[in-house]
Amino acid sequence: MSGVLVVIPAWNEAGNLGTVVAELRAERPEDAVLVVDDGSTDGTVEAAREAGTAVLRLPFHLGYGAAVQAGIKLGLRRGYDVVVTFDGDGQHDPADVAALVHAVREGADLVLGSRFLGARSWRGGLLRRTGSAMLAAMTWALTGLRLSDPTSGLKALSPRAQALFAASRFPDRFPDADALVLARRSRLAVAERPARMRRSRNRHGMHDGHRAVAYAFNMFFSLLVAALGQEEDLRG
Amino acid sequence: MPLHQKIFFLTIAVGLLLVILELVRRRRLRVEYSWLWIASGATIILLILRYDLLIWMTDLVGAVVTTSTLFFFCILYLALLSLNYSVRLSALTREVKELAQEIALLRADAEGIGGGGGPSGDGSSPVRYNTGLGSTRFSDRR
Repeated sequence: MSGVLVVIPAWNEAGNLGTVVAELRAERPEDAVLVVDDGSTDGTVEAAREAGTAVLRLPFHLGYGAAVQAGIKLGLRRGYDVVVTFDGDGQHDPADVAALVHAVREGADLVLGSRFLGARSWRGGLLRRTGSAMLAAMTWALTGLRLSDPTSGLKALSPRAQALFAASRFPDRFPDADALVLARRSRLAVAERPARMRRSRNRHGMHDGHRAVAYAFNMFFSLLVAALGQEEDLRG
Repeated sequence: MPLHQKIFFLTIAVGLLLVILELVRRRRLRVEYSWLWIASGATIILLILRYDLLIWMTDLVGAVVTTSTLFFFCILYLALLSLNYSVRLSALTREVKELAQEIALLRADAEGIGGGGGPSGDGSSPVRYNTGLGSTRFSDRR
């Protein structure tokens, strides 16, 4: 007997937030929407308030993972039975949220939206597709989970998954594939649902351009660290 | 070791120790960090006064000249020191992140976002909140 909280991490997304929130509101009027302002300097907070959402304001820029984590902490403390993470740059489609939420209510703990299961989805350039395939293979090798899109930012979390993601030692840079390793080690039920991804309108997307190489390196490394980690990682 | 060398290096070592003690006295350096620096200064003084210890150590590790022994251990010491700083920095980074998130969550409580100023985590029994996020719902801590 509780609701859905959609967490939108936003760092200098003033230009995109209005549309993203309006689309989300139109598609899912029942859900609570929370924008986590990650120390933006471009009026993101005002844009979010104008769009009519609550804003969780971090005092300074912490990075994507920590911003998402802050939103999840709020969801966990307020007792939402599903927390959905949804990117603020307009790449996710609100229509896909329903399937993810449904999967959590059917018993899954962590449900990822996959652009490789979605029929009409944009799948990224060659570099990104190659990186995704390699990460998927590594995730499979380390966890036994066959996931097509382990780096998806569109996720739905049950309270158990929220508790894991809110743990203080949880990877807070880019909680993607390494988060899955930890989720698996905490015996969470992980699932995947089709999702349509649109080309990001965001110029500082962490998967794009020259950052992709640094991202891939960090991700592979975090994956190994997560796989070798201690039980302590799984607690608060 | 010639006397004027001893005097020169002793002056430096004693000066270093005085600077450390003064920093601790003025609370510019925390006491728990200072012992490390005092130990470093003391080691330098010991090696100046007992040069034969350095020669003994050189034989022990199989080095040819005493300067190699000295430089090797200096570099090792500095490497371990920066490793130690990296560990401390990692802990501080995590603590700062936790604090920043906590500030944001407390501000959300104060502004009535998502919980109408209700308890943000310790509510043991189901409480009805005006969430400020859209609708009223039951909330309970799992």
